[in-house]
Amino acid sequence: MEQPRRITDSFPRRRRGSRRPPGRLKDKKDKDKDEEKVQVKVRDCSRSPSQPPPDPALLEMLRRFDLSWEYGPCTGITRLQRWERAQELGLSPPGAIRDALLEHRDNPDVTYRWVWDGMGC
Amino acid sequence: MFSEQATPMAQGLLAPPSAEPPTFPRVPVSGYSDCSQPFQLGERSFSRQYAHIYAVRLSGMRPGLECRARSRWGNDIALRKLSELQAGEKCCVVGTLFKAMQLQPSILQEISEEHNLVPQPPLPKYIQPSDELILEDELQRIKLEGAIDVQRLVTGTILAVYGTEQDDGRFLVEDHCFADLPPPLPWNGPSSNRFVLLASGLGLGSVSGEALLSTQLLVDVVTGQLGAEGEQSCAAHITRVILAGNLLSQNTQSRDTINKAKYLTKKTQAASVEAVKMLDEILLQLCTSVPVDVMPGEFDPTNYTLPQQPLHRCMLPLASAYATLRLVTNPYQANLDGVRFLGTSGQNISDIFKYSSMDNYLEILEWTLLAGHISPTAPDTLGCYPFYKSDPFILTECPHVYFCGNAPHFQSKLLQGKEGQRVLLVTVPDFSVTQTACLINLRDLTCQPITFSSFGADSED
Repeated sequence: MEQPRRITDSFPRRRRGSRRPPGRLKDKKDKDKDEEKVQVKVRDCSRSPSQPPPDPALLEMLRRFDLSWEYGPCTGITRLQRWERAQELGLSPPGAIRDALLEHRDNPDVTYRWVWDGMGC
Repeated sequence: MFSEQATPMAQGLLAPPSAEPPTFPRVPVSGYSDCSQPFQLGERSFSRQYAHIYAVRLSGMRPGLECRARSRWGNDIALRKLSELQAGEKCCVVGTLFKAMQLQPSILQEISEEHNLVPQPPLPKYIQPSDELILEDELQRIKLEGAIDVQRLVTGTILAVYGTEQDDGRFLVEDHCFADLPPPLPWNGPSSNRFVLLASGLGLGSVSGEALLSTQLLVDVVTGQLGAEGEQSCAAHITRVILAGNLLSQNTQSRDTINKAKYLTKKTQAASVEAVKMLDEILLQLCTSVPVDVMPGEFDPTNYTLPQQPLHRCMLPLASAYATLRLVTNPYQANLDGVRFLGTSGQNISDIFKYSSMDNYLEILEWTLLAGHISPTAPDTLGCYPFYKSDPFILTECPHVYFCGNAPHFQSKLLQGKEGQRVLLVTVPDFSVTQTACLINLRDLTCQPITFSSFGADSED
């Protein structure tokens, strides 16, 4: 079965050449470099190129962590903040989740501040 | 006490001036540390809902309440969550209270077009005989009835109830208990007389200037410019002045200029500007002589939600040049000479007053201490910052002095706890109305009011 659809799927995150300083497109020498950069961007879509994509089992585990009621509400805070709060309250959340969150820190699908309709940050 | 030391030397007023005018050095500042870090907010984010603060409040207070429940009703009682309740079984449940009140102002009712209702005017009390109590835990809620005073309790209190679930789905309460006094702090108070002056509700910027003379008299007494050598030597024992909120009057809050056209309001200045200038001058006189802690209140230019952040020092240019001025948060917690002070400017107490049958401010103050929470009605009816990690209003240690500002009268009581706690409860009266401030003796935790009445038009002398 395909990956479960999320509300945020209607707003795909794309980083197209935002790192290129403006006004350098006209420079012929840098054109090849820019082409390479663009190609690399297309292949990797919205993830940082250095890390492998998180596998669906990990994302499923994180969603189950979000939905478990023992650790309190999950909206409006990042998963790591929720994990740390649960730890301080003595609810002993599983350590594997924290390791996974720290490993995939750059991936917004993993850090996931669960928002309603894209409101909040 | 303060006045007893003064009277024997009253003859000094009618004697010729002495060759060497006596000087009374103020007692040195020793042992001050500010403990209000939990109330200081750094970067504020309002993109969170209030479910977090209720969740951490319940999970933070649950262990203490379970301990209290076991010590009160026996070690073998069944502690159940609402989802595990069985009809007819005697058990104990810990949860958050919610009071469903018909008269509670609701923004949804006000803007509801089908009702076409005029929004109800603010009432002094919103309680009604038809109010109901509902207990909530993490997942479910249940209506409460029985040996529980519905009128007295307010939303947001965490408590433990002991009883049985009825067949109709309600919970019949046989007994209930709160978190009770928090664990005591060690006592390191001073051995000689040291006084702290507590005043609140200076009310500057009001239309009538009657309280201004009394305010000036207060400043003169503290700085030692009033009275004979007896009073001056007593004033030298005042180590600190705490101004607990409402430094500005409610009149400075008028917002008619918003509704008027711009050309009419071009040259007008907000009333609070003049009032803050007056406040700066008063604080300057005080700060040159004694350390002052200034807490913001309901009508002061700072944020509305609790915890209120300190006033900004750019508003008080003259007084903030002195290191003796400390602008602090509301609620405020500090160690003065080994004595732990904790207090608010009174918004929490007056909010509970509106939604509870308790009439006496001192009684409400004592009740918040026994309930283990400074302000249970926040965020329901009192504005509060959406905390998510921990609730800083939970009382974890028992203070030695617990005060609230802007009360209608001065009242004080020394509360003794079972584990050796000694708390002095003080309701600081509104100075602009009563012209009364409080002097607390740190050595033996006694409190005394000091009134500055001036001759009004209706007095006889």
